[in-house]
Amino acid sequence: MSKIIDVQNLQMKFGKEEALKDVSFTVEKGEIFGFLGPSGSGKTTTIKILTAQLTHSSGKASVFQQNAADMNQMENKQKIGILTDNSGLYGRLSIEENLLLYCNLYELPKSAMDEALQFVNLQNERKKKVNNLSKGMTQRVILARTIMHKPKLLFLDEPTSALDPVNTKHIYKGLRKLNELGTTIFLTTHDMSEAETLCDRVAFLHKGEIREIGDPAMLKKKYSDHSFTVELTDGEKHVLLNGQEDAQRLFNWMSTQQVERINTNEPSLGDIFVQLTGSDL
Amino acid sequence: MNISIRRIQAIFMKDYKEFSRNYAVSFVVLIPIFLAIVYGKSGSNSIQTYFLPINMTFSMVTAYIQACLIAEEKERNTLRSLMMSPASITDILLGKSVLVFVITAVLLAVSMFLVGYTPENIPVLVMGLVVSTVFYIAMGIICGLFTKSVMEASLAILPVMIIFSFAPLAIVLGETHIVYKIVQWLPGSQLILLAEEINKQASTMSLLTPIAVMSIWSVVAIFISVVLFKKRTKDE
Repeated sequence: MSKIIDVQNLQMKFGKEEALKDVSFTVEKGEIFGFLGPSGSGKTTTIKILTAQLTHSSGKASVFQQNAADMNQMENKQKIGILTDNSGLYGRLSIEENLLLYCNLYELPKSAMDEALQFVNLQNERKKKVNNLSKGMTQRVILARTIMHKPKLLFLDEPTSALDPVNTKHIYKGLRKLNELGTTIFLTTHDMSEAETLCDRVAFLHKGEIREIGDPAMLKKKYSDHSFTVELTDGEKHVLLNGQEDAQRLFNWMSTQQVERINTNEPSLGDIFVQLTGSDL
Repeated sequence: MNISIRRIQAIFMKDYKEFSRNYAVSFVVLIPIFLAIVYGKSGSNSIQTYFLPINMTFSMVTAYIQACLIAEEKERNTLRSLMMSPASITDILLGKSVLVFVITAVLLAVSMFLVGYTPENIPVLVMGLVVSTVFYIAMGIICGLFTKSVMEASLAILPVMIIFSFAPLAIVLGETHIVYKIVQWLPGSQLILLAEEINKQASTMSLLTPIAVMSIWSVVAIFISVVLFKKRTKDE
């Protein structure tokens, strides 16, 4: 696999305040990479640097083996899609009119708009004025606009933050389909279940520093205490560890048919984040 | 320079739809027409009278609407989205200027008809009006990019209105007056001087000087607006 994003020792200062401190990571082609952290941790700043909306103070940031600052060149703009907090829509225009504008800006056929509307489950609402939409619907229109040109690399900043569970599920399905078709996705979120559902690898960002990076399953294994909980038929719960003594206890319960349920005590990504940073998301 | 007619047309169509549904801003197109009717009825036939509604159109409609169109894009975070699209700076600035250019052209024609102004040399005057329109569009872009909202843009445009619409009235003070010596170089004054030269059926050289001065103003304003626009593609 080739590196689509390569960030080395990235530093970003706003005056005296350090928003990013020595951040390093790579994103491989075809990956869904999750950048996890609470508000103010530096997620949006990173996206802005990678999409040439912000100039970093020091370090190296490259996208498609080019300096991230060159992402504002026309040929690169065709390759990326961006959804951030500063993506807006024209309120007096309908959903269709908004998307048609971008269809023309990307010089796409009208069918691209229909596909994008289907992606966000808004094909029957296309004539609605954006001013009359809910926050969740607005977010879906912006997402449709972002993916309409089928970018090779998609930057999504909290893409499902305003969505209900049904539409969130619909978007997840669409994002996975896009990913299967070859789109690399760089996703920022503070929703750990979203990261677990979608991401191949995640990085925990806290106060501008990456605290951990890796495959969610591998991280869970790494931070697990390898215990499991046994629930007995009388409702009693016991935490067991690997070893002769606990193996004998489990054997006894099983042989007398007392075991109701066995669960592993694997930590969630949220638990790992708390463990690493001492603060919640 | 990267220019795409499809992109320019798309931005123009978007602006047209937005503008036609934004009554608060589109209402201002009626003001110069109202002024032209009043001046037309006054019976005055001096060049200054003819050009007051024309210069008002430039500042109250051309610069004001352009500033509002840009400021509203900033206010709603749509300008950054446009900047991040494959549309080039030229596509965006041209696309966003076509609507105001067309509105200005229609208003100028209607105003001139209403005040009863029939110039001797129409092609030269049209050239002067086109150069002026470009200048005021660029001024509108600068004001829009400097401000964060339509409300702020409406205030920022006031000095432009005062300086460029009303200052040319100082021409009546006479050539020896200090204010005249400064004000005569403003594009609005140069347009009036051009119209007077046309009226006197002056030589080509005399006609070229005001057009050249207005062109310099336009080039400087375009340059500033492009630099400012490029700056706005990034966060500071």
